[in-house]
Formats: sequence, C-alpha cells, structure tokens
Amino acid sequence: MSTAQDVPVYSLRDVRHHYNGRAVLAVDALEVPRGIILGLCGSNGAGKSTLLRFLAFLERPRQGGIVFAGTPALDLASLRRRATLLLQRPVLLRRSVFENVAFGLRARKETADLSRKVSEALEAVGLPFAAFARRSWRELSGGEAQRVAMAARLVLRPEVLLLDEPTSSLDPESEERITAAARLARDRHGATVVVVSHDLAWLRGLCDTVLRLAAPLPSGQAAPLTEPPLSEDCA
Amino acid sequence: MDFLFQGVRQAIALLLALDPATFSAVRVTLEATFLAVAGAIALGVPAGFLLGYIDFPGRRLLRLLVETLLAFPTVVIGLLVYAFLTRNGPLGDLGLLFTVSGMAIGLTILGLPIITAMTAMALESLDPDVRRTILTLGAGRVRAALACLSEVRHSVALAVVTAFGRIATEVGIAMMIGGNIKWHTRTMTTAIALETSKGEFAQGIALGVILLSLAFVVNVCVTALRRQGAAG
Repeated sequence: MSTAQDVPVYSLRDVRHHYNGRAVLAVDALEVPRGIILGLCGSNGAGKSTLLRFLAFLERPRQGGIVFAGTPALDLASLRRRATLLLQRPVLLRRSVFENVAFGLRARKETADLSRKVSEALEAVGLPFAAFARRSWRELSGGEAQRVAMAARLVLRPEVLLLDEPTSSLDPESEERITAAARLARDRHGATVVVVSHDLAWLRGLCDTVLRLAAPLPSGQAAPLTEPPLSEDCA
Repeated sequence: MDFLFQGVRQAIALLLALDPATFSAVRVTLEATFLAVAGAIALGVPAGFLLGYIDFPGRRLLRLLVETLLAFPTVVIGLLVYAFLTRNGPLGDLGLLFTVSGMAIGLTILGLPIITAMTAMALESLDPDVRRTILTLGAGRVRAALACLSEVRHSVALAVVTAFGRIATEVGIAMMIGGNIKWHTRTMTTAIALETSKGEFAQGIALGVILLSLAFVVNVCVTALRRQGAAG
C-alpha cells in the first residue's frame, strides 16, 4: 500500500515552454521523490531556472502539467506557500534583516514566537541574531545577503526548497553555510530540496541524485534527463 | 535700482513684523497646496499602482495619456475647472468658485499626473526578482502588492514632493479659480503678480523670499529622496 511518503513531490509530464516562439524548456517526464536532494545541472539555455520557476509555482508552463504531492498544481497562490525558491542573485527587501527573515511568516500570519524563529534561522546560516537582526539590508555584503535570503526560506520550514545556483559568486564561508543550510532543511525539517548549479562537483557533494537537463532539441522535443558521467563537466 | 533695494529693505521689515497680509497669502498657499497634494496622493498613488503594476488591455494608451497630461497647460486646467464650478456650470451649486477648496480641485488636477506617472514608472522599473521573492515567500495578492509599493516608497515620496513644489508655485489656476481675493484666496504667487503690476515691490519680494525658501526646502527633500532611492 502506498503512503504519502511514496507519492512524489513533483510529477512532470510533457512540460514545454517557449518565449517568443523559441523553445526554452522541454521535459518529457520527471519525478522528484519526497525528502531527497536533487541536483540539476546543464548548459546555459537548458531551461534550469525556468524549470525552477515552474516548480516554485511562480509561472505555468505553456504546455504540460505539474502534479504536486499527487494533486494537479492548479491553485498556484496556495501552492506557493509549500515551495519556496532562493534566487541566484541575493534579493532582499528594503528593510531590516529581521523584517526580511520574518516577512514570509508575517505573510502566513504565523507570528507566534517570531523572534525565536528568526533567531534560529539566522544562526543556521551563521549570522548571529544580536549582530545582524537590526542591520539594514544595505549594510550587508553579497554573501551575507544571500545567507539572509536563505534564512528567510529556512524559517518557513518549507516542504520544498528550490535553490537556483545559490552559491555562484559567493565567498567560501557563505558557500559552506548555504550548503549546510540546504542539508539542514532536508535532514532536520524533512524538506525536499531541488538545486540547480553549474558546479557538478559541488552538486555531487550535496545531492542524492544529479540529473543533467539539456536544452530542447531544434524540433522542440525534449532531450532525455540523464545522470552526467563522473568524468564529465556539466556546464 | 534704488527701488529694488528699497523693496528688499521693506520686504525684510514686513517679514520681521509678521505682516498679516503677507502671512495670509502664505497660509492660503499652504492650505490649498496641502489639500491639493492630499487629493493628488489619494487618487494618484492608486492610479499609478494600477498603471505600473497590473497588466490590462489599454494600459499603454492610458500611460501615454497620463504622460501627455504632465504637459497640461495650467490655464487650460483653470479654464476647465472654472467652467465646471461657475454658477451656470455642472458643479455651480457647490459654491466652490473663488474658494480655497475650489483652487485645491484645480491644483489636484495639476499634481495628479505627476504622482500617477512617477508612481507607475517606479513600479514598472522594480526588479522582477523582487516581486518573485515576495511571492515565493508566500505573500498573497494584496500583501504582495503592498510590499511592492513599499519597495518603491522613496520614488513615491519623490513624486509627492515634486507635485508639492509644482502646486505651491502655480499661478494660473490659483488666479482663475481663486480670484485672488485678499485674506481669502490670495496666494503667494497671485499676490506677487498683483503687487508687481501695481509697482509695489516690497510685499512681492517678501513673498518671493518665502517662496524661494519653500522651493529650497522642496529641493533638499527631492535630493535626499533621490539619494535614498539610488542607494536602492
């Protein structure tokens, strides 16, 4: 008998997307089991970031369907509360670190114990609450800003954490903290993590499975999702 | 040149003596300006939000129309509002002609395109990743809209200050709708125009000094807001 744990978090079938007539994403089938850390690599233009935006329910593909936890993904607004995306470039709101991290909880009206939750999330990415909570977003370095952005996702305890090249152009310490936070999201909070990167070695160190996403064929058909050979570079 | 120096001396004396006629014009100007700015904010920020945030058919045409209204000649605004407020006009029964409220209506129309266009422009130029971030953190439609508006708050404040400066220094609408009635609807600009035409420079210069000070304060605010906006 199958349990909720056995139902894939995502099931994609015949997903196609194009901008101005140019095919930017084609996936015949993809299933993401619950609780794994899945890595996606691929060359520029393979559609990795587009795919993450669909998985984050920020956009809909022009063709094909996404099933989330066994149910077709129709009401994107409510599904956005179950999956959250960390973008490649750190994007913070023009407010304090505390308010940035608390934003999602306030949006969900989960304001009980707010300070403790924000403090835990900041500590998880190596930013001491006392030193950082009151800082303005503009007083942060790029690495610190990305860690605050990660804390803003961690604090939500999401079912799915989507990371779009989260460590590109980060200093080693920030890269390490983001990596540790992604593991923590899965190991301690049971999140499913999907992470996109060009850095195959880093992906292999973090992920349970790594798949290579290839750009759509000129005919618009999908190239198969494959595990990249050990000797190969993904980019 | 002597009459100018004499005018400056008399202007200083009027300011130091808190001359009632001079400060009545200041009071009327500020009253009409604050009423008009409040009206322009109440209408212009939501209108700018609609034009800059929400995609709907005809949006580009409306944006073009609003930008055209930025160059609306003030005497034409005065003429139109006068036609509505005059005794025989559609709103003549309200008795708003030659009142501060009537002037404020005309001045609101002057400030409205400024606030609408600048708010819309600020929202249009907001980084799409900011909106994505707000949505992916779980904000609903209303909270996301308010959060986006909050992200461009410096630009909206800049729009308000710009409109304030434009409205406070306007003369055509104030003259046509207000009628330049002493103690009631005489503003700084209409008083300067009148006193100059009479060859009485003292009060005109005194009011000019206050108007320049006001313009200076407005510009300081604009510069500070631009800096804050540019800082991100």
